[in-house]
Amino acid sequence: MQPEKFYYDNKIVRNFGIATVIWGIIGMTVGLIVAIQLYSPGMNMGNQYTTFGRIRPLHTNAVIFAFVGNAIFMGVYYSLQRLLKARMFSDLLSNIHFWGWQLIIVSAVITLPLGLTTSHEYAELEWPIDIAITLIWVIFGINMFGTIFKRRERHLYVAIWFYIATFVTIAVLHIVNSFELPVSAFKSYMVYAGVQDALVQWWYGHNAVAFFLTTPYLGMMYYFLPKMANRPIYSYKLSILHFWALIFIYIWAGPHHLLYTTLPGWAQSLGIAFSIMLIAPSWGGMINGLLTLRGAWDKVRDDVILKFMVVGLTAYGMATFEGPMLSLKQVNAIGHFTDWIIAHVHVGALGWNGFLTFAILYWLIPRIYKTQLYSKKMASFHFWIGTLGILFYAVPMYWAGFTQGLMLKEFTPEGILKYPNFLESTLRIIPMHVMRSVGGGFYLLGVIVMAYNLVRTAMQGKLVANEAAQAMPLEPLPKAAKEGTWHRTLERKPIQLMIAALIVILIGTFVELMPTLTISSNIPTIAAVKPYTPLELQGRDIYIREGCSNCHSQTVRPFRSETERYGEYSKAGEFVYDHPFLWGSKRTGPDLAREGGKYGNAWHYNHLMDPRLMSPGSIMPNYDWLLTQTLDTTTTVAKINAMRTLGVPYAAGYEKIANRDLDKQAKEIAANLYTDHIKIKNDKEVIAIIAYLQRLGTDIKANKTASK
Amino acid sequence: MFKQFTESINGTQVYLLFSLAIFLVFFIVVSVLLLRLRKQHIDHMSDLPLEDGNGESLNPYQL
Repeated sequence: MQPEKFYYDNKIVRNFGIATVIWGIIGMTVGLIVAIQLYSPGMNMGNQYTTFGRIRPLHTNAVIFAFVGNAIFMGVYYSLQRLLKARMFSDLLSNIHFWGWQLIIVSAVITLPLGLTTSHEYAELEWPIDIAITLIWVIFGINMFGTIFKRRERHLYVAIWFYIATFVTIAVLHIVNSFELPVSAFKSYMVYAGVQDALVQWWYGHNAVAFFLTTPYLGMMYYFLPKMANRPIYSYKLSILHFWALIFIYIWAGPHHLLYTTLPGWAQSLGIAFSIMLIAPSWGGMINGLLTLRGAWDKVRDDVILKFMVVGLTAYGMATFEGPMLSLKQVNAIGHFTDWIIAHVHVGALGWNGFLTFAILYWLIPRIYKTQLYSKKMASFHFWIGTLGILFYAVPMYWAGFTQGLMLKEFTPEGILKYPNFLESTLRIIPMHVMRSVGGGFYLLGVIVMAYNLVRTAMQGKLVANEAAQAMPLEPLPKAAKEGTWHRTLERKPIQLMIAALIVILIGTFVELMPTLTISSNIPTIAAVKPYTPLELQGRDIYIREGCSNCHSQTVRPFRSETERYGEYSKAGEFVYDHPFLWGSKRTGPDLAREGGKYGNAWHYNHLMDPRLMSPGSIMPNYDWLLTQTLDTTTTVAKINAMRTLGVPYAAGYEKIANRDLDKQAKEIAANLYTDHIKIKNDKEVIAIIAYLQRLGTDIKANKTASK
Repeated sequence: MFKQFTESINGTQVYLLFSLAIFLVFFIVVSVLLLRLRKQHIDHMSDLPLEDGNGESLNPYQL
């Protein structure tokens, strides 16, 4: 039989590579801006589109889905073709995938600063974009499986399994976490409420880390590391064990993001147990990677690409050890809501995702351009400034996290809070935040140097858009070969492999999500908790639009330090009308779950206009546009209707008189402000948000009798 | 210290044992499958990334 000739598509790899670098620089620059905003409110630039609450999601989305996302596709499109000895299934689908993904990113860049957000972390994009993501993801899947079907290599290498698991799990995660009821073209309410919404969100959030930031990168590690070191992976068996164990365990660990909240205790326990077990497969992968370099450590000394890989793998090991530690309740009690978590994710993001991406770019670009890297010195500089950047980033953030976590828990010998004012802890850690932004700046500088180096590399070479290759076509298996172990058979059956992976991830999903989503006794209701008034509902949507939940949590944990500071700890029944939940995951400012009635309306008015009037030194941006912008009440009817559809008990026909109630409540607040010599028309947005803030956590104060 | 960690998890025994049991079964099944794989096959699989289908690597350059 004659070998077949064919061509690898390098152009699509190059395109995703360019997108990786460009979005990487943009995403990290936005990251640097938000980091500076945390000690210099002036960097919010005095307009609503660039405030922290709106562009922090832009930073996370840009680095996760634009930088890492494009890097994944670059790595997958390069390695998949070569591992299968086949060109991508369809050039057209490759191009639709590429441009579709860039369009989604551009729509994120436009909508997030406009305040169009679902407020679900890492899933902020509104429903039309969610649909676009689904379509493009399916196109990616068709293109990948099409390539697998026309392959010239019978068995699928472990990297491809990781890609398949990524594809199928991200599809499940994205769809389940996007059950939204549209209210208008760019506004929707999550179908789930309160505790249920929180559980779905963190099942998603945790596994987005697992199946977007981890599994595709492990797949890339299993392909590119052997290439870079020019030797096979240390243990192929370990890689298989690693694969099944990792995808099985990861899916269960989501609830460790919700420790000490009103999530049912058993779900928290399960999350902790599986988080601890997760150390084993994570470290199995790291060790497999590092041991691949056995006998080649001398190469690490001169090869900057391997240096990036070693630091990347080490960062992966540190982050995956720290994660389980942080899910222990005692550690979580201090670390959660603080900068410790920011340090933790950045060790993973900058070290693991960033450094692996850089290594692959340095390895791949010279090859597809048939040339040598323009400057080894620059690459070496990038490695050192990047490593230094990670250290300057992480160490101050750990320090800040411990400091704030411990300060907020400290009592005097007399038994009162030592730092009753949250702001004291904020001000204490400002020097650490300054240092963190220096670290981030170093890291970004390295990326810019890399971009220059890669552009010069491309300029001195010429892209081999279609790279010639040849391989024997696949023949039908002879009968005798069909016998073999079950697993070996699985390795040549992509669809069965996908279904097996799907079943493995659905086990944890069902056990964990179903009881909380379906058994009502898991969420005890409280009779005193009533739906929001129309004005409060509108105010809540402004709270979501401004991204307040990026800095303010809305859940009081059952600690004495928190009940002293904020008030009674939160109950599950308090959130049953919260579509979406707004518990947040970080306290850059104090918790607001019991904010209602703590201060007068005038305090809130002045504080929103300029936080420093009421809290000298505050790092919160001014929200002065809320004072001038008129509240859009045309949406009230649609919002009340949507909420009723989701099960919020507004009386039939209430939507017709909702705006009358809204006006009445707004007039009361405006009149109250007037007694404090504040003249404001009652149709301004600030009135609505004050109404919402004054409602927060007050229901159970009014009537403490709880019914089941 | 370790006791303190485990005791703070509600319903400790049931969930720890349950999750451990599920995982052990899964782990053992995968391990058995792995042990039944032939060395020849493993070597072939390990070598897959190193063959590009275009003879020598496109670029002999090593950084």
